[in-house]
Amino acid sequence: MIVTRAQKTGFSLYAGLVLLVFYFPVFCIIVASLSKKRFFSFPYATSDMTLKWYADAASSAQVHDFVGVSLRIAAATAAASVAIGFFSALAYARYRWRGRQTFQRLVLLPLFFPQSVLGLALLMWFNFLDVTTAWWTAAIAHTVWIAPITTLIISIQAYGLDESLEEAARDMGASRWQILRKITFPLLLPGMITATCFAVLLSWGNFALSLFTTGADSALPEWLYARMTSGYQPMVPAVGVLNVILAVLLVLALFSVVHWSNRKARAARPAAH
Amino acid sequence: MNAAAPQPPPEPAAAKKPARELAPALLGLLSASPFGLLMLFGFVAPLLCVVWFGFMPPKTFSLLQAPTLENYRTIFDQTYFKSILWSLGLAGGTVLVLLVICYPLAFAMAKIFRGGAAFVTYAIATSLFVSENIRLFGWVIGFMKKGVVGGTLAAWFDLQIDSLLYNVPVIILGMVYVYLPFMLFPLVLGLKMVPDQVREAAFDLGASRWQVFRRVDLPLSMPGVLIGSLLVFVLSVGAISEAKILGGQKVVTIAADIESEFTYAQNWPLGSAISTLFIALTTVVVFFALGRFDLEKLLGKKPSE
Amino acid sequence: MESSSPATPILEVATVTKRFGGFTAVDDVSFRIQEGEFFTLVGPSGSGKTTLLRMLVGMEKPTSGELRLRGRVINDLPPNQRPTCMVFQSLALFPHLSVGRNVEFPLEIRGQRSGERRTRAWELLKLLHLDPNRYYDKNIAQCSGGERQRVALARALAYDPEILFFDEPLSALDARLRKTLQKELKDLQRGTGKTFCYVTHSLEEAMVMSDRVAILRSGLIEQIGRPDEIYSSPKNAFVAEFMGEVNLLPVVGTGDATATWDTGRKTLALALPAPLPAGAAKKLLIRPESLRFLRADETAGNTLPVRILNQFSLGSRLQYHVEVAPGCTLTVERLREERVTGDTALLGWDLGDSQLLDA
Repeated sequence: MIVTRAQKTGFSLYAGLVLLVFYFPVFCIIVASLSKKRFFSFPYATSDMTLKWYADAASSAQVHDFVGVSLRIAAATAAASVAIGFFSALAYARYRWRGRQTFQRLVLLPLFFPQSVLGLALLMWFNFLDVTTAWWTAAIAHTVWIAPITTLIISIQAYGLDESLEEAARDMGASRWQILRKITFPLLLPGMITATCFAVLLSWGNFALSLFTTGADSALPEWLYARMTSGYQPMVPAVGVLNVILAVLLVLALFSVVHWSNRKARAARPAAH
Repeated sequence: MNAAAPQPPPEPAAAKKPARELAPALLGLLSASPFGLLMLFGFVAPLLCVVWFGFMPPKTFSLLQAPTLENYRTIFDQTYFKSILWSLGLAGGTVLVLLVICYPLAFAMAKIFRGGAAFVTYAIATSLFVSENIRLFGWVIGFMKKGVVGGTLAAWFDLQIDSLLYNVPVIILGMVYVYLPFMLFPLVLGLKMVPDQVREAAFDLGASRWQVFRRVDLPLSMPGVLIGSLLVFVLSVGAISEAKILGGQKVVTIAADIESEFTYAQNWPLGSAISTLFIALTTVVVFFALGRFDLEKLLGKKPSE
Repeated sequence: MESSSPATPILEVATVTKRFGGFTAVDDVSFRIQEGEFFTLVGPSGSGKTTLLRMLVGMEKPTSGELRLRGRVINDLPPNQRPTCMVFQSLALFPHLSVGRNVEFPLEIRGQRSGERRTRAWELLKLLHLDPNRYYDKNIAQCSGGERQRVALARALAYDPEILFFDEPLSALDARLRKTLQKELKDLQRGTGKTFCYVTHSLEEAMVMSDRVAILRSGLIEQIGRPDEIYSSPKNAFVAEFMGEVNLLPVVGTGDATATWDTGRKTLALALPAPLPAGAAKKLLIRPESLRFLRADETAGNTLPVRILNQFSLGSRLQYHVEVAPGCTLTVERLREERVTGDTALLGWDLGDSQLLDA
């Protein structure tokens, strides 16, 4: 259908506006993080600009602790949910079995579930089991929520998997296990890398689940929330900005992985063009 | 193949066949099992735990007591229904606002932009990975007294305004902001499923742009609309931060009620009972909506052509 | 270019060009379509035929030139305001509507009442051999390829277009169904008296159905004419080659009606049907069925000793691949009764059966 230049401009302007509003809060935080004053007010003189809060944040032992806890949770969550996701993606998209449709619905359930309630439920469950909550219980909570997401991401790749490749391998005498290791795994690898990035990022930013399940440990988002609602510290915006930068870097890494795997997929199909 | 073997050759082949046919079913079950176990011990059991806890006497911390309905009586005696209504209302409002904001953008991303669509996708998706608290805090800095908006207005137009925070529209703004990706991306997927040629055919058969939208785009992108709305509804109905950070104490949502029963009030059974009610409510909504369309179509398989 | 056009054209394409960035998809093309004719645009993929069609329907705008419908310039008229309609390659049926509702769609858009719509849809389904009682409420997804084809046609006819365009709608079907539908389409065009404009990459398909054919290459029209005109006198080597398996020999004139043919290893001297200046390069077209194996006592305009490499059965005929010189083969088609045996033979053709074409 013909798209006129006016329409294109109109939609572009609209998209630009949405993005502008969308990034307005980030802009606000950056502005606040550079202000020297203890209590922020806008506008402020350029002489009042400082990088002091960033230095504070970088050297704060407290912040280091929270980052450490967050990273530990993210790493454990990513490892667990990608490993589980690999197999459940095969069950979701690849194998034909009786319970598949039910399974496909079941996978989505935790996603359509309020996270705060899930966090609470897990807290009570751990309490019932007489388990003291710590960073690793939070990792379990994150996995419950993130494993469905990694499953879906890897499933998208698994849908594109050419079944005849596995059949060809079987025809040449490979066992189920050999097929899984030598054919299925490498073919799903790009999807798994993407899934790993997603898992790390989502775990890193998660608040609702961590709030109830970290126990004595405390993740970065929790600390930020506490400092925002009570006991404000001028370091908070700086930590927030650092957090955003980290996320952007990870997304860029994700972008290049997706780009790379697309290119590889295209290279593997020379006849397509 | 192995003609020299002592057994008659056709038999092993015939015996092998059914075993091979059975394998996929077993493989499916086997590869679904790690996830199944995770769900059993990380999702189902905790939820049952909550439901059971709701029947325990108030202000106790053990699951091993005689069940009682006292908590539910408390819920209906007190004004918890008000917070439930607030939560449902805020979530419903968020869904509507997001549909209006996102549909045109999703349309442009799916049908008009070329390279621009990827840029918008990454720009929006990046936000998913920044803790929502940080992003909401940005609004606080923007909207507070002498914040970025107020300060700019005062400096440039000499206009003094008070804090823009702590009211219902700002809470909805916060939720719209935080959950925008969850509406946008399903809508883009849904609209991408509308084949270009089908739209062109409608146009060619005399339909105006509005008629193409009403009769082709909207019905064919309905799965995306439904999934997006559902996701946003469920996420925002359980949201805590928005109402707390942006709304102050103006509005108490059901999620906040639950949280305070577990923290300040230390009344786990009552909190559990409210949670149970809340879960039941969302489950009804989700199942009602999920039962009405086929997710497989949206996720992997293209529409049959 | 126009050979037979006493009537006024219903659609006139005048020096139309379409560029996408630096790429010229359609290059200064002109032709006319007459009222009530079956006109076909044919070309290999990338020849610009689909772009041209999309401009005729209104999905693209020409960069320059004019499209005139009954003398009225329609360059800027959007497709929903043009009295023309297209059957898409993908058919573009509305997957969320039943067969009947698909057919009624253009009528509904026009604001017709539901009773009238239903009656018309009923008629059209019958016209296309789809029993309305069975198909009216059927889901599009449940229809077979051929049935969908008919639904798409019925829907386009419901629009009652002055010209009906087709973008290779039959290409996805198997050969037998395609042949049946080609004939049905031709019958339908005769029966309704409508102007059909068809696009395809298969010259064979074009020949079966069309009153006139235009052959496109790289955005340019190579030849326009009736199917038999194109068959008997292709304008150049491209058109000849496009028609199927033919022998095209690159020849260089040696004065008068003689030429040399460089086969790689050796150069052969040939007699030509027409004079060719010395040094001029052309292609000599010889159809496989014009080549024949000679008995010892027979003569022909040209004779060549050949080695028979292979023979294939084409039903009533046999096809031979013969080698004139190492690495240089010709295709020969003879009736089954004239089967030759042995490894070598003498090949010949009459001068009148060969044509000189521009390369």
